[in-house]
Amino acid sequence: MVKTVKARVISKGVGEGEALVCKQPIGFNFGVEVDTGTINEYHHELEGISFKDKVLIFPHGKGSTGGSYVVYQVAKAATAPAAIINLNTETIIAVGAIMGGIPVVDHMEENPYDIIQNGDYVKVDAIEGIVTITKKGAQ
Amino acid sequence: MYLNDEQKQMLAGEKGEPAQVAMEILNALGNIYGAEKLIPVKSAHCAGLSLKSHGIAGMEWAEDMVRKGAKVVVPTTMNVVGVDRSRDLGLPADWVEHQMRIEKAYEDMGCYGTSSCVPYYYGFLPRFGEHIAWAESSAVVFTNSVIGARDNREGGPSAWASGITGYTPLHGLHLDENRTGDILFKVTANINSIADYGALGNYVGKMVGEKIPVFENLGNPSLEELVYFGSALASAGGVALFHAIGLTPEASDLNAVFKGKTYETIELGQKELEQGYQNLTSGKGKDVDYVALGCPHFTLNQIKEVADLLEGKRIKDGVTLWVHTNIPIKQMAEEFGYRKIIEDAGGVLTQDLCTILGNPEALGVTTLATNSPKMAFYAPGSNGLDVWYGDANKCIQTALTGRWEN
Repeated sequence: MVKTVKARVISKGVGEGEALVCKQPIGFNFGVEVDTGTINEYHHELEGISFKDKVLIFPHGKGSTGGSYVVYQVAKAATAPAAIINLNTETIIAVGAIMGGIPVVDHMEENPYDIIQNGDYVKVDAIEGIVTITKKGAQ
Repeated sequence: MYLNDEQKQMLAGEKGEPAQVAMEILNALGNIYGAEKLIPVKSAHCAGLSLKSHGIAGMEWAEDMVRKGAKVVVPTTMNVVGVDRSRDLGLPADWVEHQMRIEKAYEDMGCYGTSSCVPYYYGFLPRFGEHIAWAESSAVVFTNSVIGARDNREGGPSAWASGITGYTPLHGLHLDENRTGDILFKVTANINSIADYGALGNYVGKMVGEKIPVFENLGNPSLEELVYFGSALASAGGVALFHAIGLTPEASDLNAVFKGKTYETIELGQKELEQGYQNLTSGKGKDVDYVALGCPHFTLNQIKEVADLLEGKRIKDGVTLWVHTNIPIKQMAEEFGYRKIIEDAGGVLTQDLCTILGNPEALGVTTLATNSPKMAFYAPGSNGLDVWYGDANKCIQTALTGRWEN
């Protein structure tokens, strides 16, 4: 099953990969190991898990505005997500992603948590504002 | 968000890649915050220039922007950093080199060549009602509250983007309707010193987060006291604007700041003041090996106060004393002989450096005494230091004896 949903473009680009779904906000400053793209915030839902090359779905960023530079650093270290889908992108993620060229969309016309599960294959076209979801096992 | 033809050209890359990146940042922020359009700013202040924030990747990004022709189009200043370019303070060589490369990149983009959190003290003073795009939380709260300029709490890259394009999205504190007060604080505590203002600011900042506090009976503060008070509100919380009845320009009376809104009233007595002091104290042992003053950067007046306390004396062996300011004010202190007095006593008058963003822990110091409510808040996390907090006089006595005495 393949589904396409419209979304708002925050940071331009196109990226695709396996979905990594996270219900909690992510703080990039002091919360991410840049060399591996691994979340290292104590007790975080994704603690110990890398977002490298995944399509990362999370509600929004949190914490220090210095986090923008960390988003940029993971892009330069090639450990960034292939693309990001937020419910509501805020300043930290938006600015870092634009600097680093990571595709980001938010405000999908359907709630991403209702239609995307871990392991689904997701393409984010953050130029046209279209998210294409291929359910796991349907490729 | 509406863009005019010039702004559309920037977004399309017709004015070069730096202007395109800058416009992408502003356009995204404008859309996120529901801004109707961009407005021109008179000046910008770029923060996050320390190596601790930029990292090597950020340094290379700034250098890449320079190679691609980035130039600011409005007066743009640089925030305080982690080195003093004029002297060797014993900091690690690669740290110094990378930090200096960040400063050089921003200078090459046309920013003014001193790095400081207080540009309003050396000529970059906005007027009442002027729209600006400054980062550096202590400068944001000062320009908004004490001057009545219009500024949001910008991050480093968004302030840079405003410097490069000359615009900022019209939202937040640029709009009159978002500048009304949220909570009234009636001060009944005895406020007698700049340290009292800092402790009170810390207490309230921690309580209100990003709300707009209003103060009644805040006393008769000096400019320096208002700066330190604001820096405490902005670091312990996210305060970008406060009003003080009868003191700040938008607060002639309660009606002017609340405009008919209902609000909670909270009293600030001795107990609350004392709690602020406790919040800022993480010192355990009374032996102090590091004394740092000047966060936000000292004025000439504050430097003279330190010189007067140190004249003819000598700080204790094994204690490091750093007094932070910027190039222009250091030059004045040099001219008037204050710097010589401080350095003859064994202290260092630093330029453009800040303890929080610098790396004094690399010198092996462990316990800090400071007069700064902002440094006292951040130094345990940023530098791993234990902290004693009090006024400059007490800190200088500590530098002379090596002991913090209650």
